[in-house]
Amino acid sequence: MKIAVCVKQVVSREWHLRVADSKTWIRDQDASYELNEPDAYALEEGLRLKEKHGGEVIVVSAGPARVSQVIREALARGADRAIHVEVEGLVDADAFVTAEALAAALSDERCDLVLTGLQSDDSGFAQTGVLLAEKLGMPHGTIIMDVQVADGGLRVKRELEGGWFQWIAMPLPALLAIQSGINQLRYATLKGIMAAKKKDVKKIAAPSVAPRQQILNLYFPEKKKATQLISGSPAEAARELVRRLRDEARVIQ
Amino acid sequence: MIEILALWLLLLIFGGSFVAQVARRVRLVAAAPNNFSLDLLGFRIRRFVTDVVFQRKTIVERPFVGLAHAFVFWGFVAFAGFTATEFLKGLGIVDLTGTAWFHAYRLALAPFAVAALAGIVFLVIRRGIVRPVALGTHVSIESIVIGLFIAILMVTFLLDFRLEEGTPAARVNWWAHACVILAFLSLIPASKHLHLVLSPVTVFLKSPVLGTVPNLDFEKEEVGTEAIKDLKSKQVLDALTCVECGRCQVNCPAWESDKALNPKTLILQTKDALLAGSRDAKMVDVFDPGVLWQCTTCGACENQCPVGIEHLPLIIGARRGLVSNGEAPDYLGNVYNHMERRGNIWGLGYDQRQKFVESAGLEIFAAAKHEWLIWLGCAGAFEADFQKSLRSLFAILSAHGVRFGVLAKERCTGDVAKRTGNEYLFQELATQNIADLKAAGVTKILTSCPHCLKTIGDDYRRFGYEVQVVHSAVMVAELTRALRATDIESEVVTFHDPCYLGRYAGRTGEPRELLGRFGGELTEPARNRENPFCCGAGGGLLFEEKEKGTRISDVRFGQLRATGAGTIVTACPFCSIMLKGSQASAQSEIQVVDLMTFVNGRLQRMPGRTPGSP
Amino acid sequence: MILVVAEQLDGRLNRASWEAIAAAQQTGGPVKVVVLGAQAGAVAADLAAADVAEVLVAEHPSLERYTADGYVLALAQIAGAEQPELVALPHTYQTRDFAPKLAARLDRALITDCIGVRPHDGGRVFVRAMFQGKLYADVLPAGPAPHIVTFQIGAYRADAVARGSSAAPTRALSLTIDASAVRQKPEAPFKEAKQAVDLSQAERIVAVGRGIKGQEHLAVAEKLAAALGAELAASRPICDAGWLPMDRQVGSSGQTVAPKLYVALGISGAIQHLVGMKGSSTIVAINKDPDAPMFEVADYGIVGDLFEIVPALTKALNG
Repeated sequence: MKIAVCVKQVVSREWHLRVADSKTWIRDQDASYELNEPDAYALEEGLRLKEKHGGEVIVVSAGPARVSQVIREALARGADRAIHVEVEGLVDADAFVTAEALAAALSDERCDLVLTGLQSDDSGFAQTGVLLAEKLGMPHGTIIMDVQVADGGLRVKRELEGGWFQWIAMPLPALLAIQSGINQLRYATLKGIMAAKKKDVKKIAAPSVAPRQQILNLYFPEKKKATQLISGSPAEAARELVRRLRDEARVIQ
Repeated sequence: MIEILALWLLLLIFGGSFVAQVARRVRLVAAAPNNFSLDLLGFRIRRFVTDVVFQRKTIVERPFVGLAHAFVFWGFVAFAGFTATEFLKGLGIVDLTGTAWFHAYRLALAPFAVAALAGIVFLVIRRGIVRPVALGTHVSIESIVIGLFIAILMVTFLLDFRLEEGTPAARVNWWAHACVILAFLSLIPASKHLHLVLSPVTVFLKSPVLGTVPNLDFEKEEVGTEAIKDLKSKQVLDALTCVECGRCQVNCPAWESDKALNPKTLILQTKDALLAGSRDAKMVDVFDPGVLWQCTTCGACENQCPVGIEHLPLIIGARRGLVSNGEAPDYLGNVYNHMERRGNIWGLGYDQRQKFVESAGLEIFAAAKHEWLIWLGCAGAFEADFQKSLRSLFAILSAHGVRFGVLAKERCTGDVAKRTGNEYLFQELATQNIADLKAAGVTKILTSCPHCLKTIGDDYRRFGYEVQVVHSAVMVAELTRALRATDIESEVVTFHDPCYLGRYAGRTGEPRELLGRFGGELTEPARNRENPFCCGAGGGLLFEEKEKGTRISDVRFGQLRATGAGTIVTACPFCSIMLKGSQASAQSEIQVVDLMTFVNGRLQRMPGRTPGSP
Repeated sequence: MILVVAEQLDGRLNRASWEAIAAAQQTGGPVKVVVLGAQAGAVAADLAAADVAEVLVAEHPSLERYTADGYVLALAQIAGAEQPELVALPHTYQTRDFAPKLAARLDRALITDCIGVRPHDGGRVFVRAMFQGKLYADVLPAGPAPHIVTFQIGAYRADAVARGSSAAPTRALSLTIDASAVRQKPEAPFKEAKQAVDLSQAERIVAVGRGIKGQEHLAVAEKLAAALGAELAASRPICDAGWLPMDRQVGSSGQTVAPKLYVALGISGAIQHLVGMKGSSTIVAINKDPDAPMFEVADYGIVGDLFEIVPALTKALNG
C-alpha cells in the first residue's frame, strides 16, 4: 500500500505562550517545536499498516524550513520518504490554505491511503484532513480507531459519542483522520535516526491560495485556572459543588 | 634422569594445555574492541593493594570465608618461589634447593601452609556440606577436586619436613606434589579458578567509578551490545574472570524479591557464549531479555564483586542494543516520549515548575549574584512531597547566607534514559543541559536528587563538562557542623541510604551526622551504608507497575520497618516515592520523611532560635 | 437567516442541537432548523417548540444512516435552496466528520468549535479557543455567504433556547441524491460489550483512596458513582489491599484516564496517581488533609470528612 501521512509541526506545549505584537499570532521566535501529537498517532497507524500489508509510508508536511525537524523525526520512526511543501508563511494559516498545500504535494502521488491526525495542538481547527479528502476527491472517515484493509477497500471503526462505535466500509483510495491514543507510539530508535539521514525529502512550492478566515485578535482569557475551594457545612458545600459542576464546568446536567 | 625426562614430558603436556587454554582466552579478550583504561592510576594501585594483596573485599563482607580464602591466596603467592625452585631442580636446569636462603624460605612457608590448609578445609566443608545459597544449587565437583588438590599440596609440603631426603617415601611425596600441581595447572583455565590468573588484572582494570558506562559514538554508528562480538575487552575479561562466588546474586534486590534476574547467571551465560565461539550470538539469545529489564542499576552486584567484574556496563550495554532496535518495554516508551516532548519523566507541563519556583520565591540563577545553582530535577519541579523537602532546604540555605538560584528552564538530566539504554535521548538532553549550564556560568551545583548527582557529576564528564556537584545532605552537614544542639527531643529513626548516594557516591556519613545532630536516634536496617537494599525505582523501574514476584520496595520497606523505628528518613525523591507507596500499601503508620524536612523541622523547633535563623 | 443543522439518531435528538439553536438565536436574525436522516420527522415536533421560523425535515433513502457523502450532498442542495447567510452546527463527532467536506464542496469559510459570537464592523466575529484552550481568538470569516460555524459543546446552554409562543411550521424537503455518489457503507452503531472495566473510556470517574479507610465503606463511594453515572476507580493501595480489582486502578501502566469529570475521594495524590488522571477535564478533590497534593491539580475542592460530604453530595445530585 502507498500510504501518505500528513504531519504538522507545532510549537511545543512547553513553550511559554505570549501574544506577538501583531496580536494575530503568538511570539514564536526561537520557540521549541515538536510533532503535533495527534499526527504522531496517524503516523504510527500508517507504519503499522505498512508493516502488515507492505508498501511505503510517505510523510508530508507544509511550512517553513524548520519543519524538516518533524519530517526527520517521522523518517526516523520508519517513514520511507518525505515531501516538504516549503513556504515561509503558512505558520498561522487557516485549514483551507494548508489543505491546498498538502493536496499539491499529493496530487501526483496516487496514494492508496492518506492519514492525518484529528486536529492540531495549536490551531485546533479539526478541518484540514477532511478538506484534503474533498480536494483529492477521496471518501473519508474521521475519529478512526481501527483500520482493516481488504479487496481494494477499507473497513474502519469510527468512534461515536457516548461509548458507541460504528464500522464503515469504503473503497480505496481514501483518507482517514486517526483518533489519538489508539496505539502505543513507537519512539525513534537509534538505528532509525541514523537511517533517516539518508532518506529522500522532496521539496515543492506551495500554491497561492486566499485564506478563508482571519484572526483579528489573539488574547488570553480573563479567568486563570486556580483551585476553587468550597467551604461551608457538608450539605452546603455539596449543594454548591453540584451547582458549579452543572453551571460552570458543565459536566453534569 | 628418567625423572627429569618424565617431568619435562608432563610439563609439556599439562603446561602446554594450560598455555593453550589461556592463550585462547587471551585471544578472546584481544579480539574484542579495546576499552581498557588506566585512568586514575594512583587509585587503581591503592585499590590493588587493599583488595588484591590484602583481600579487603572478601574479608569485610564475609569475615570467616574471606579470611580462609585470604590464607589460601597468600599461601599461593608465598609458594610461587618455592614451586619454581623445585621445578627448576626437577627439570634438571639448576638446583638451588641446597642453599641457605631456600632452607629459610621453606621454614618460613610452613605457617603459610598450615593456614592455607586450614583455610581450604574450611572452604571445602562449606561448599560441600554447608552448601550456602550463594554457591548455587548443586555442588561443583570440580571445586571440591581443586580444594582437595590444594589440601594435598599443603599436606605433601608439610609432610616433606618429616621425610628424609632421598628416601622413596620422600620421592613419592615430591612426585605427588608435582603431579597435583601439573593437574591443577591444566584445570585452571577451564574452570572458575582462572581467576587466579585473571582477577588481579581485572581488579586493576576495573573502573574507579561505579557504573561507568561510556557514551556511544554515533559517528561510528555504535548502537550498543547487540551480539557477543560487540562486547568490549573489559567485558570479555569480566566474563572469563567470574569466580562464581555468588556475592552479586545474594546482594541483588531483584533476585532477593523472587525475580528471574541473577547477575551471576548473566556473567556465566556470557562466558559460555564466548567460549562456545558464538561471536554472532545475539544477546537476547544469550540471556532472556525480560531479565534485563528487572535491573534497578543499584550497583550492588558490581560493588560486591571481589574479582573486579563490572556488571552495569554489561546490562546497560545489552539494554542499549535492545532500545536501539525499538525493543524497550512499553512503559519505557511512554517515559521516553515524555522526556523528549516535555523534558521530564512524567510528561507534566512546564507551568507547574514555574508555579513552584514562584511560590518558593526562588531567584533565577545569575553568576554574578549566586554561588550555587540548585538543580531541582524532575521531582523538584513536579512532585509535591519532594518540593516540601526542597523548601526545607531553601530555608536552611537562606538561614546560613548561602546565595543560590535556579535555572529558568531545566530539562531532565537524562538519568532514566542513560540507565535504560536510550543513549540517543540521553545525549540529546545532556548536550542541551550542558549548553544551558555553561551559558549561565554555573560552577557549583547543589541537588537533593542522587540520580541527578550521578548523571551531572559523572556521566556529563564524558562530554567534557566538569562541574562541582554536591548533594544537599553533604552541604547541610557542613553548614550545621558548628551547631551545638541542646535540648533537642530525641526520636528513634532509621535511615534508608539511597543507592545513588550511599553506594555510588559513598556518602553515608553526612546523613547520619545530621540525624545524630538533630535528635535522631539511629537504628540501622539489615542492609545499609555502602550496601543498601534498593528501593526499586532505579533503572526505569519506577514506571513498571507490573513487577513480578514481590515488590522490591515492599521488601525494603519490610526491612526498614523491622528496625522498630517510627520514622524512615531518606535523601532521594525516588526512594521517597517508592517507600511512601509501600507504606500506603502496607497500611502502615510509619512516617517516611526526607532528610531536609527532618533537619529543618528540628532546626525550627530548637529552643532559643527564631525560625529560619542560623 | 441562520440555518441550524440539528443532529438525531434513531429518532432521538442530540442534546447539543439545542445548544446550537440557542447560539443561533443569540446571534440574531431569523432562525430555521433542518434535521436529516431516517426518522427525522419524529423529532420535528420537538424542534418546532423552539422560537424558530421553520423546521425543515430532510428524509431520503440515501440518508437512512449517516454518511459524510450523503449529508454533504443533501446539505449542499439545502443550502443552495434556502440561501442562509450562516449555517450553524453543534461541534459533535458527526459534525466534525462532514462539516469541512461541506465547506470544501461549497467553497465557503468554516469556523469550528466556537465559544461565542460578537458583532463587528457591521458583521460578526467568532470567538474560538486555540493552543489547547490557553488563548482565545476573534476570527473573521472571509469570502461570500453562507459561512459555516460549529459551536463547542457546552459553550451555550441547551436550556437557554427560547421557546416559541406557538409551534413553528414544519416543511418536508425533497432531495435528489445519487446513491452511487455515497461511497461510505456504514453498519449499525453498537456499544462494545463490556468484558472488563475500561476506565480509559469512562466519561466520569469516582476514585477512592486510603481515606475510604475500609472495604466496608466503599458503598459511600458507590452511591456517589451511581448518582453521577460514573465508573468506580481507586488508587494503588486500595487495589493492593484487594478492596477493588486491579482493573480499577488509576495510575498503573495503561490505565491513564481522561474523563470529563474525576472525583477523588480521600486520595492524597501521589505522583504516580496524578500522572494517570491529570488529563481529566474537571477534577474534584475531597480530602480532610488540606495539604494533599490532589488539591493542587483540582478545579474544585472540599476540605473535610468525606463520610459527611459524599453522602450530602449524593443527596444533592439525586434530589
